[in-house]
Amino acid sequence: MVWLGRGAPENRGPYKKLKTVYFLKIMNEFIATFHIDWKLMIAQLINFGIVFLAFYLLAAKPLSKLMKERGETISKGIDDAKINAEVLEKTSKEYEAVLSKARIEANKIFQDGKKEAETKKTAMLEEAKKEMKTMIENGKKSLEIEKVKMVEEAKKEIVSLAMKATEKLMGSKQDLNNL
Amino acid sequence: MATNNANQITNQPIHETTIYAEPIFHVGSFQITNSLLNSWLAVLVIIAFCVALRYKMKQVPGKIQHVFEILLEGALSLCDQVTNDRKITVKIFPLVVSLFIFILVNNWLGLLPIVGSIGFLENVSGQSFFIPVFRAGTADINTTLALSIAIVIGSNVFGIVAIGAWKIFNKYVNINALREIVTKFRKDKNVIIVAPITFFVGILELIGEMAKVASLSFRLFGNVFAGEVLLASMGAIFLYVLPVPFLILEVFIGLIQALIFSLLATVYFTIASQDHGEHEPARNASHSDAGGEREEKLASIKKLKVSRNY
Repeated sequence: MVWLGRGAPENRGPYKKLKTVYFLKIMNEFIATFHIDWKLMIAQLINFGIVFLAFYLLAAKPLSKLMKERGETISKGIDDAKINAEVLEKTSKEYEAVLSKARIEANKIFQDGKKEAETKKTAMLEEAKKEMKTMIENGKKSLEIEKVKMVEEAKKEIVSLAMKATEKLMGSKQDLNNL
Repeated sequence: MATNNANQITNQPIHETTIYAEPIFHVGSFQITNSLLNSWLAVLVIIAFCVALRYKMKQVPGKIQHVFEILLEGALSLCDQVTNDRKITVKIFPLVVSLFIFILVNNWLGLLPIVGSIGFLENVSGQSFFIPVFRAGTADINTTLALSIAIVIGSNVFGIVAIGAWKIFNKYVNINALREIVTKFRKDKNVIIVAPITFFVGILELIGEMAKVASLSFRLFGNVFAGEVLLASMGAIFLYVLPVPFLILEVFIGLIQALIFSLLATVYFTIASQDHGEHEPARNASHSDAGGEREEKLASIKKLKVSRNY
């Protein structure tokens, strides 16, 4: 028969006291059988406390700090690499743009230079032609002058020669006359 | 002749595995047992390992550090799986892992050849008994009982810090449930039945905490002690080869028991840090949602009736 609540006979008066005594007896037997000693329990707890402190201070804390730092370094390295790659890409694009711009400018400069050179060449040629023409004209003029001069000088020479010849002829006649 | 043989038998030292740890020497009234000696050895081994690890710790890890880091990461993810909350994991992780290491090293040191074989003879009422100097630390109920009591008390303290003393107190002595009889009786008559049951469940929780202590301590002690008895029995049958597979089995059992103990500790800490009252407003909200749906249905039925009348 199952009794419930306060009505159960084993919960009343002397029965209850007996149950408490029986429980204490069992507990004492249990403690005696397993040699349970609170001092030993405290000693084992101290052992565990030492292990906890050693593990926490010497292994877990520094290692987690180290791992965190390493993780940060790695993530920073990855970020830097990404930034560097972006910068590299941007720089290469800029380089390409600058290079193409420089090529265009160089081509333009070359073309301008070419045009200028052509102009200068034409101008120089024109000038040279003009100079040549002037020189030829001057040469011609000087030649003319020289020619005129030479003719005049020749005339003078001829005259003087004729005079001299005449003088000589005249002189010989006088000599003859003197004879 | 027969009496001589009997004398020889009685003079042979008795080598039996006792259920309790044998005292080796005394310091005043304090008994130093072989289990305590083994625990001290375990503590020294762990400290030596931690010191070695600390001084060889580098940004670029060596072999030992690498293995330890992998184990630590694995333990952290395992702890995360149990707690489902990184904040709780970070708080209890060092305690749980040091518990695991302490139990594991104690279990495994108990399997070394020096344990149980080195000892001295003690005469008790004319009969000499062999007392081993070392015995697995966890093969003593004092160790496992101390650890499990610490875990259960620690989990409740952690719960008090996490969710408050009043909620933890109400978990065991559910005064809130009794108060609901007064406050909610007009709204819900069922509370007069539900609230005492809830109060009684709280008392069951209190008994459950004691059961936790018993289950944690006896599971670990029972497994390790049974392993010792098993190995001794196998050694007695055939000393040289027969204990080997059982020794390997005990290595696994030592690991598994340490893992179970520390995982259960994690579970207890997680349960203690969770507020079970948080679900009640959500439940009420769902009830109110259901009520709203019912009202909508009633309104639509009324509309249908009105349209039919027209």
